[in-house]
Amino acid sequence: MTILETKNLHKKFNKAEVLKGIDFSINQGEVVSIIGSSGSGKSTFLRCLNFLDKKDKGDIIFKNNIVENKAASIIELRKHVGMVFQSFNLFFNMTVLKNVMSGLVIVNKEEKSLAEKKAMELLDKVGLTEKAHVYPETMSGGQLQRVAIARALAMSPDVVLFDEPTSALDPELVAEVLAVMKNLAKEGCTMIVVTHEMAFAREVSDRVIFLHEGIITEEGTPDEIFNHPKNERLRSFLSSMSF
Amino acid sequence: MEFFENALHFLTSAIDNFPKFFPGIIATLQLSVLSIILGTVFGLIVNLLKMTKIKPLCMLADLYVAVVRGTPLLLQLFFMFYGLPQMGIYIDRFSSAVAGLAFHNGAYISEIFRGSIQAIPRGQHEAAKAIGMTKLQAFKNVIFPQAFKHAVPALGNQFLLAIKDSSLASVITITETMMLARQLAAATFSIFPVYFDAAVIYMVLTYALNVLLRKLEKRLKVNER
Ligand SMILES: Nc1ncnc2c1ncn2[C@@H]1O[C@H](COP(=O)(O)OP(=O)(O)OP(=O)(O)O)[C@@H](O)[C@H]1O
Ligand SMILES: [Mg+2]
Repeated sequence: MTILETKNLHKKFNKAEVLKGIDFSINQGEVVSIIGSSGSGKSTFLRCLNFLDKKDKGDIIFKNNIVENKAASIIELRKHVGMVFQSFNLFFNMTVLKNVMSGLVIVNKEEKSLAEKKAMELLDKVGLTEKAHVYPETMSGGQLQRVAIARALAMSPDVVLFDEPTSALDPELVAEVLAVMKNLAKEGCTMIVVTHEMAFAREVSDRVIFLHEGIITEEGTPDEIFNHPKNERLRSFLSSMSF
Repeated sequence: MEFFENALHFLTSAIDNFPKFFPGIIATLQLSVLSIILGTVFGLIVNLLKMTKIKPLCMLADLYVAVVRGTPLLLQLFFMFYGLPQMGIYIDRFSSAVAGLAFHNGAYISEIFRGSIQAIPRGQHEAAKAIGMTKLQAFKNVIFPQAFKHAVPALGNQFLLAIKDSSLASVITITETMMLARQLAAATFSIFPVYFDAAVIYMVLTYALNVLLRKLEKRLKVNER
């Protein structure tokens, strides 16, 4: 089943056209990595998917329904589309547990005790139960990002968007976050991952997309993209990534 | 020797007159507390209005802040006291004083909130939106709690000003501390001891508020390293 699609997606910032007609789709259980050089529009694409950036043209289609450009539809979409940011963005005024519960309690109005139970299970999954009552300020980047993943998962999203989830981390903390993500992929979580971690993209993705100057320039299996790149831009991009 | 006698006379006079201030202290407290609470509510409402991004509401909020910041408090109080009745709005003296002071404080408090709301990183808004919160849910659960914490020192300062500004209510015939001081000074001719009492009262009130605020700041800091 197709979870999320875009048709002819365009996005401009002022005069600069950042996305120039993106046709994209992801099926349930699929893991799609998006690679490309800095400024190619990867984040913008991801942020258009959940309307953090407003598209200029084209359609965003969630489970075969075009998402209308009005507050109620956008909020409904966001309940089903999780997002994990490069800079974690945990709520500073809440403990780890409250962060993970926030969507359930505030958005879904679920009962506190149920939400707490679910949140604790997710914290267990990302290996952070002992931090449940701690505030984000005192934690490492790797821990913060794992909490952020748990927070996104709490809503039981149909797809999770990751925007360079390990780029803000010290090198020694990258592995713990990638391990959590690999686990998710194994469990069949539908994921769109913007990443500079080529090894991860290669190992975990079902499909890799190379975005260049706002266009999907090449798309294929990890083997096709990394071992048999056809496009010249992709080749020079891959050779610039030392991995 | 004469100095000591004078000092003693000053002190006994100050002490003798002090109990006469009790009704004034109560009025000052009532004016201050009410105008601070109401002012905070006004400040909050101004920011909520602006959040709607609806043009007329934003303009109304901006106009309110501009008028208050652009005119003297004394004039605002006169307007409440003399102006409103002429417009056919009758409220009692005390209410008009509270309204005037709250109106005044609200504008400054709204600016304090605005500043501290703007200082919240964009990522906090985005994470709240991304998880499906409405603007109001995000404001209530994420943005305002953080903004409020940052605003406490500046709010405290405004609250101290509010206590002192309440003395201006004396000009619209509210019998608060300053009004009593003037009356007592005129009646007893012990001018300095009486004004000394008034000064002590304001000092004690503002100092007590300061202590409370420090405690609040400390408690709000629990989630920092
Ligand atoms: N809010 C914005 N306002 C104006 N220009 C923007 C905005 N966001 C992004 N851009 C511009 O759009 C282009 C694409 O940015 P985007 O963040 O999508 O790139 P990216 O592929 O994610 O890059 P990176 O790998 O550095 O994260 C860049 O040139 C950027 O400067
Ligand atoms: Mg980016």
